[in-house]
Amino acid sequence: MRSSLRPGLKPVSILYWLMALAATAFFLFPIYWMASSSLKSDLDVGTYPPVWLFTPSLHSYEQLFKEMGALDALWNSCFIVGISTCLAMMAGTLAAYALARFDVSGKNVLAFEVLSIRMLPPIVSVIPLFIIAKQLGIFDTPWLLIACYTLSGLPFVVWVMRVFIQEIPQSIEEAALIDGCSHFQAFWRITLPLLLPGLAATMVIVFMFAWNEFLLASILTSREAKTLPVIAANAIKPKAISFGLASAAGVLMSLPVVVLVLMMQRYLVRGLTLGAVKG
Amino acid sequence: MRAVASGEIKGTGAATARRAGEKYVPWMLLAPTMIIMTLVGFFPLVHSLYISMTSYRPTEIDKPQGFVGLENYVRAFSDPLFGHSLLLTGLFTGLSVGLSLVLAVLLAALFNLRLPGFVAMRTIVLVPMLITPIAVGITWRIMMMPDLGVLNFLLAMLGIPPQPWANSATSALMAMVLVDVWQWTPFMFIIIFAGLRALPRSPFEAAAIDGAGPIRTFYSVTLPMLRPVIVVAVLLRVIDAIRTYDTVYIITRGGPDFASDLVSVYLQRANFKFFDLGYGAAISWLTLIAILAIVLIFVRLTGFMKLLADKEGR
Repeated sequence: MRSSLRPGLKPVSILYWLMALAATAFFLFPIYWMASSSLKSDLDVGTYPPVWLFTPSLHSYEQLFKEMGALDALWNSCFIVGISTCLAMMAGTLAAYALARFDVSGKNVLAFEVLSIRMLPPIVSVIPLFIIAKQLGIFDTPWLLIACYTLSGLPFVVWVMRVFIQEIPQSIEEAALIDGCSHFQAFWRITLPLLLPGLAATMVIVFMFAWNEFLLASILTSREAKTLPVIAANAIKPKAISFGLASAAGVLMSLPVVVLVLMMQRYLVRGLTLGAVKG
Repeated sequence: MRAVASGEIKGTGAATARRAGEKYVPWMLLAPTMIIMTLVGFFPLVHSLYISMTSYRPTEIDKPQGFVGLENYVRAFSDPLFGHSLLLTGLFTGLSVGLSLVLAVLLAALFNLRLPGFVAMRTIVLVPMLITPIAVGITWRIMMMPDLGVLNFLLAMLGIPPQPWANSATSALMAMVLVDVWQWTPFMFIIIFAGLRALPRSPFEAAAIDGAGPIRTFYSVTLPMLRPVIVVAVLLRVIDAIRTYDTVYIITRGGPDFASDLVSVYLQRANFKFFDLGYGAAISWLTLIAILAIVLIFVRLTGFMKLLADKEGR
């Protein structure tokens, strides 16, 4: 099938090409609409029929930072997601190394437990977290969300990094040991550099999940620790909607993920499927 | 001390751990993960099991708050809205995952043709899965507005009458399925596409020699060989589709008339609108059990764990 259809001048190729173009348009159009709505002025954004040609204005973005407190939310998002991603990466990679390289008793049970957290709906632990946080006085502080996001990233890191570590032959590390490296040196100088692409890919995906998370962030914060998705959701009222503002918030929070992930595209499939499918 | 018995090295990581004094190293490495999982994961879960057996209502202190046994669970089974939301979630998940699977397989086959411009198009197709779900909800809500929305404008250009989209009880769930398919088909697409790329060539050549046409080859050769990859993609999608919350919260909040009241939206409302936390914890647990049951059945039927464990075969 693969070899029978070379890029050629066959009319059927043109048909396939048009189909691909239609699919691309379907997936691209809402993104285009979000980006263009965010650049329209208040006059252009809510009219019917929709305006296709307009003078771009940064008015919505200005309003977003001035009136919605987007700067604070951006800082909260960066702080919370940054710290929790690092914590999850460090703890998770250590555990993955233990599972990949050592004979731990009950290893498969442990691995399954780790995986089952990936399946838990966050709503189940939200109530006790809410109650505990109120009692401990950490409700509406970044630390509560940091703890939650670290936990939800962990199983993912452990599982994926285990696969990446297993792919590096142990014999390389052993050669280093024979040459007089300590265990730590062998890991630091030999294994870690080889792991870097895997680490980066895993980190980007963990970052993406935490950055996009809304349910926990909306319930476990009220004023001080609001993240970007919470701010964006505030631009929507049950009856009315501030088009330009909401779209600008959407662009602002989606952009970092799109840029980061597209940079790591090569390793994306590997990470997303918990290492089960090679990209 | 560093000497390693050469017979044990061959590829296996585990055996080498028996070096003297290293018994505790793996547990030290595992400790941070286990501490976090116990404190933030396991403890709240157990606590919520306890809450589910009380009538805890922090906003109504004058009412009894004590232990009520399984009363909340009994109440859940006669709660029509809870059952309704579970059914809707099942329908939503089935439709959404089914549709995006079909679309993703077709897209993967299409983009496997390597025509000019396909690499760029493929990258563009990936972008929806990277957009923050809240932003996806906002955008589709704006586009789907009955009188002002651009979708009805585009339909009018094609001569199709305007649709109510998420604003009518009959089409709200389908509108949510559309949004979900739009966002997550790319996820299934890249997984299946990667799987398609990795397939060996010879079965296709054999099929061509035997005179199989492209459609026959697709059904009898491509799809069976893709099965493991499809299983992984579907399982991960099902787990996430059941938890869908953000887009529904933004677009319909479960309405109109509970037509898109998915279980996560219902749970959120039950817990944080009325603060009936005992009952909320009980229905959360029932949902958790339902999800685990579905996932375990799926895992059993398809041998998902074996797929993951095979990666260990060293």
